[in-house]
Amino acid sequence: MKKLTAMLLVAAMTIGLVACGNNAGTPDSGNAPAQDAGTETSGGGAEAEAPAAEEPAAEEPAASGTDDVNVLPREETLYFAGQQWGAVNSWNIMGTNQNNAMAIAGGPSGYRTLMFETLYMYNFMNGEIMGLLANDDYAWNDDMTQMTLTIKDAAKWSDGTPVTAEDVKRTWDVSVEIANGTGSTYGSYIDTIEADGNTVTINAKLNDAGQPVNPLKILDFLTGAPIAQAAWIDTLSDRCGGDATAMLNDPGDDVVWSGPYTKYFSDDQRVVLSRDDNYWGQDASMWGSLPVPKYIAHTIYADNAASEVGLKNGEVDVAQLFIANVQDLWLKDGLPISTYYEEAPYGVCLTMPTAWYNMNMPVLAENAALRKAIAMAVDYDHIISAAMTNQSPTFKDVPRSLMNPTDGEQALYNKSEVADLQWEGNDIEGAKALLDEAGIVDNDGDGYREWNGEKISLNAVCPNGWSDWQASMVDVAAAGEAIGVEITTLYPEYDIYQTVFTDPNQTEYAIFMWSPEAASPSNPWTRVNQFLGMDYVGVQNNWSGNWGQYKNEEADALIKQIPLTTDEAELKDLYTQLVEIYLTEVPSFSLMYRPSVFHTVNESVWTNYPSGDDGRNIPPADCTDGYGIAALYELELVQ
Amino acid sequence: MKNTLRQVFHSPKFVGGFVIFVAILLLMIIYPLINPGDPLEMIGINTFAKPGTYVSLYDATKAKYEPMRLTDAEDKRLDAYLSAEDRVAMVEWFGLAGIDISNLDIEDTDALMDLWNDNYDPAFKIKGMTKAKVNYFRRLNNSIQQLQSADVIVLADTNEETGELEETGQVNKNDYVNVNSVVNVKFLPLGTDNFGRDVLKELVSAIGTSMLIGLLAGSVATLIGLTLGLLSGYVGGVVDDIIMFITNVFTVIPSFVLLILITYSISQDQRGAAVVGGVIGLTSWTWTTRSVRSQVISLRNRDHVNLSKLSGHSLVRIVLTDILPYIASYVVMAFILQVSSGILAEAQLSMLGLGPKMTEVPTLGLMMNWAMLYSAHTNGSWWAYFPVILTIALISFSLNLMNTGLDQVFNPTLRD
Repeated sequence: MKKLTAMLLVAAMTIGLVACGNNAGTPDSGNAPAQDAGTETSGGGAEAEAPAAEEPAAEEPAASGTDDVNVLPREETLYFAGQQWGAVNSWNIMGTNQNNAMAIAGGPSGYRTLMFETLYMYNFMNGEIMGLLANDDYAWNDDMTQMTLTIKDAAKWSDGTPVTAEDVKRTWDVSVEIANGTGSTYGSYIDTIEADGNTVTINAKLNDAGQPVNPLKILDFLTGAPIAQAAWIDTLSDRCGGDATAMLNDPGDDVVWSGPYTKYFSDDQRVVLSRDDNYWGQDASMWGSLPVPKYIAHTIYADNAASEVGLKNGEVDVAQLFIANVQDLWLKDGLPISTYYEEAPYGVCLTMPTAWYNMNMPVLAENAALRKAIAMAVDYDHIISAAMTNQSPTFKDVPRSLMNPTDGEQALYNKSEVADLQWEGNDIEGAKALLDEAGIVDNDGDGYREWNGEKISLNAVCPNGWSDWQASMVDVAAAGEAIGVEITTLYPEYDIYQTVFTDPNQTEYAIFMWSPEAASPSNPWTRVNQFLGMDYVGVQNNWSGNWGQYKNEEADALIKQIPLTTDEAELKDLYTQLVEIYLTEVPSFSLMYRPSVFHTVNESVWTNYPSGDDGRNIPPADCTDGYGIAALYELELVQ
Repeated sequence: MKNTLRQVFHSPKFVGGFVIFVAILLLMIIYPLINPGDPLEMIGINTFAKPGTYVSLYDATKAKYEPMRLTDAEDKRLDAYLSAEDRVAMVEWFGLAGIDISNLDIEDTDALMDLWNDNYDPAFKIKGMTKAKVNYFRRLNNSIQQLQSADVIVLADTNEETGELEETGQVNKNDYVNVNSVVNVKFLPLGTDNFGRDVLKELVSAIGTSMLIGLLAGSVATLIGLTLGLLSGYVGGVVDDIIMFITNVFTVIPSFVLLILITYSISQDQRGAAVVGGVIGLTSWTWTTRSVRSQVISLRNRDHVNLSKLSGHSLVRIVLTDILPYIASYVVMAFILQVSSGILAEAQLSMLGLGPKMTEVPTLGLMMNWAMLYSAHTNGSWWAYFPVILTIALISFSLNLMNTGLDQVFNPTLRD
């Protein structure tokens, strides 16, 4: 009897396991359309459904109930991973919170121009700014208070009407009015935009001395702000009765676009864009052809690990993911996978994930020695080799400063002048000596140092699941342990983390991670401002910079001078002074140089992706961002 | 008591489980004596070093060389640098590059390599070849060059005065070094994890923490379960109704969900091993209560209990002396199961990132959590997670086996 029961149990378990396996294999195709409808309605009312039904939604692959990977013709579809997490909220280019990574997103190296286009494209590989909607030649007036540019004759909207200067003006005016991303990012730098025929004139905001606040930011606007159609903005405005909140939250399903792709299908499983074969860019004055893949698809994976499995299986062509030990994919597993550069760091390192000290905590704000000691004790080589699996140059290769590791930025400060301030890390003795000297010592013999009679106890925080950052925080905690400062790690969920670290008054996180800006025409200025500037002190919901709320009038004054300085020697001097302040005061410390622009490609179906040695100078910007989109025009099928 | 113990140790199942459990305990106690030090020390610089013996290359070059003539040495080198697949790939490349290979013997290594050296050019582009393939041939070319490098590796040192390299020694292809004569050798039976920690050392320390969490969880759960069960079963009436109501409520709430919610709400810096153990115990007492209660109900009207009541003994005394001894064996078994499920619960929680904070103690679940975060399961680093899974399985297997053995001894219906 017992044996029988046992056997029955085993049989039941086996069946159960098999059943689970099947479920995992075919993502519940049955209820996908239902959820789609749910998202649409919750997004914004009755109107949303009409356009959704008109779209080619009738041939929705998921509705047929078959395995969705096979329905889009594989040889016409380019699959992405690493961008879209969760279902798309909206297609409204003027709105906010769209969660629409493939269509509406500014990447670290320029705007993603698959569906909505910017005036220019940035190529950080050579610093070039190339025309997209606008002609190549933009011009400043003598004192850089005014810029003029002309719109390409060929540029058309998806409804066939030409793109005009009026569209640029209307996009800007309404963006400022309703304070969307474009409006709030550039509002402090651009005063007005005027339209005359196909000529656009951008007037810079002036400071008290009559000089432009920051001309560099106007260059950022050219490559970072997507342009919307004036007529569609009017439709949107009418529909929302001119209410700013309603306009920001409109789902925008009837949106008019100018890019080569448009929405085709989206639910909580994946997002698909399809090629617009009437795209204006096939005109000889632009690309001269259509992009190669007919569909751009992004499966929504649960996490990095799941995306990585997709990439390995050839279900993903292009992935922008941190993959630990990525070289094993080709060295050990022999998969047809490659990265932009064949050797570490595999991508272009443009940003420096940084640990910020919370200056709302007196113990950190008043003790530069403590800040510097912790930063000196951290073993960066270990972080780079273990947490980043060597996908970053070390601080021996590129000594720490405010600059990213590109040659251009490295040349902007005088290395010899600050050499004795730079540290490579793992300097336990030096850090201890620094603390002893500052009088921060262990009086009660519990192994931890005290300040003002109280044990120093800090936490090191980053979002849960961000594995390389989490591992780095373990190293920071270990450094604290080594020098007698208690540091514990804390990994809250991202949705909690983001509300706390952007709060200028928070005292919950002592040492916390965030990355400064990577590359754009206005860098390194923007990044330096994020590290040391006072623009963002006290700003609520602060996503812009200086997350540690560090205040230094002297640094701020120097930063304000930079945008108006054109003399190179003077500029170098200013940057060197700022680096000196940064390395002495240590309001934050970078843990690694991170490949912010990188992609890993699986060449099972497509090939001829850009790579570092092919001489084409197409950046590894996920085939979509800034000039990186040029890659889509040169893809080939594997023979 | 003695008799009971003898009976228990006659049960083969119990003895089996006991031996495994004691073996794990012994490993936990003895291994740190052999290999002392901080289990969380990050000795490796890179991630996931393979299990094996690591010899300091620096010291090896300084040790005494013993030249040996081993006939298969050259063949082994060839295999390592130029596998059969590589040979096929070379022929494939010749074909794509349009080179005449009609009289090439694939096994003739010299001819193959000569032809390769004559023709391969990294700059030569073959149309339609993927980047991955191009890179593969470039790497293949590098290993062929290595294979063909001179028979001698020259050791050199920088002269401090002139800054130039000066030859200090040579290593020949047939030089060997006795491992014992190398000063620094590190044996890593289970390699290192993503932080470069010695996995075996960490594992042994993690077993201790996890056992502790399990014991704590088991004690808390058993204590609560037992107290409530005794009260509810013996007192009955309204008390029984209230306790059973609470128990039923907790039974229908899935305890793991409850566990997740509670641990999630405790901030991470407070989440030490003890707290996690306590929380697990607080969410898993219900079935102990129910079964203790039903056993007590069947005992409550026995003659000896009634006799005690008539003698005017207090409630506490009756429960402790007249009821508890009769269900003690059952409670011990329930306790063992609670310990086992406590260890599993910790592993599950830590996998979800809700375990104890990592910087202080390693636990079995945290080891798996980090292995998963760093894709050990997909990049073939089995040593980072498989021994952990095996350990968890062995611990709960041994505990369950012991429990079954006890059951056979104490449960009259199962007695042989």
